[in-house]
Amino acid sequence: MNKIFYYTLSIILLMGLGASWVIQKARFSHDLPVIKLVPDFSFTNQYGEIFTQDNLRGKVSVLDFFFTSCAGPCPIMTYNMKELYNDFSQINEVQFISITVDPILDTKLKLKEYAEIQGVYDKRWQFLFSDLGQIKNLKKNGFMLYADQLPQGHAIKFILIDENGKIRKYFDGTDDASQAVLRENITHLLRNFKS
Amino acid sequence: MRLFRTFSFISTALTYLLIFIGGLVRVSGAGMGCPDWPKCFGRWIPPTDLSQVPLQYFDQFNIVLAWIEYCNRLFGALVGLTITLTLAIGLKYFSHIPTIKWPIVIAFFLTLIEGWLGSVLVDTVLNPFTITLHLLLALIIVMLLLYSSQEAYYLENSKAEVLSKYPEDIGWLFSLISIALIIEIILGTEIRGGLEIIRKENPMVESEFLLQMLGPFKYVHTILGFVITGLSGLLWYKLVKKSFNPSVVVIQSSTAILVFIMIQIILGEMLVFLEIIPLIQLFHLWIASWILGLVSIQYCAWKKSRLIYE
Repeated sequence: MNKIFYYTLSIILLMGLGASWVIQKARFSHDLPVIKLVPDFSFTNQYGEIFTQDNLRGKVSVLDFFFTSCAGPCPIMTYNMKELYNDFSQINEVQFISITVDPILDTKLKLKEYAEIQGVYDKRWQFLFSDLGQIKNLKKNGFMLYADQLPQGHAIKFILIDENGKIRKYFDGTDDASQAVLRENITHLLRNFKS
Repeated sequence: MRLFRTFSFISTALTYLLIFIGGLVRVSGAGMGCPDWPKCFGRWIPPTDLSQVPLQYFDQFNIVLAWIEYCNRLFGALVGLTITLTLAIGLKYFSHIPTIKWPIVIAFFLTLIEGWLGSVLVDTVLNPFTITLHLLLALIIVMLLLYSSQEAYYLENSKAEVLSKYPEDIGWLFSLISIALIIEIILGTEIRGGLEIIRKENPMVESEFLLQMLGPFKYVHTILGFVITGLSGLLWYKLVKKSFNPSVVVIQSSTAILVFIMIQIILGEMLVFLEIIPLIQLFHLWIASWILGLVSIQYCAWKKSRLIYE
């Protein structure tokens, strides 16, 4: 009798171990692939503060390229970004970054004004500028996006970056379906990073 | 004859294992691991590489989830086959004994329905009602299998329970405990389903607050849990203390029910006060299915001894 008891107990323990292995496997199977590390850069935000690759650490970031006087897809992208900004308003571990591709028109003041029109008064959504050469370089070599005919030729991508400053996924910044997936993926990264 | 007992015992054990695996599929979120049925991504053996996945399923492919779900289906097919063999053997030797024949016949048909429900689950993208029904049928199947193997055992060992005499008027207690247990399990699956929805809508909420957001019906689960504890205590008292020479099976199963209920209370409280850990959820459900099986064993033993006295 005792023997049977111990056999059963050890089988159940083994099943528990196996099950917990499977549960772990399943949990991490949803992980997004790591595409690449965002290279070093040093830009300035709408408050005149320096923003570098280090500011990507410890937070999940959504980043896009735009310019304030753009009449094409940018208003839709800004609208979508604003939705995300509002949805994650309770969570300080998510930040939004919009980098202008028209630094001649989009000065610090212009970006601050643009931010305030969107209702952004905090640092959860930062608008960055630098000189055109650096922006081009970051866009082309850092984010592997088309950057030849700026400002008009800017990409309409939203880029999801994890808490280690690594690019995890690209999204279309203009359609609703991509936004829904992006929302899920942000929370997924957050959950993994918090636990 | 002995063959039937072996097969029905194996069927019972495998069905219990399948309930565990099914629960594992649920807690690991692998229910839609294969988006089609009965094949997986259009293949009898799931793909190991994206190049094998048909284009329309491209974005749904997750190799880990696909293989978890596939193992569940494969094991389900094995259990189905074992139950079919058990039925064939049962019909050959015991077609004249209704208490053995009917449970296994019903178990067989319910197994067919289980397979069909599996396909409905995939078609409806895991409809919550169907998931619960899928579990309920599995519980009924396992009880029927257990019952018919026990009856077959008594047929061979006609002296079993002969020397024992239990209170006659506790038939209602078996029914009441079984019904309460089944309702308790349904409530449990409702809580789990509710938690999943809340977690999806509020992905960043810490685990300990999820339960608070669930609403009052979680208390019903706790209260009914205490009712079941009381009823099991009463059943233990009647079968062990108020009986004449209770058999070892009855004493041990009565005690085991109480031990399992204590474990269930501890696991349940861990889920409430510590964190919602999938592994604990899995065992919480699985042990509940054991308790149900033990009640079935007691009922069968009680009935056997009663028949002798009649």
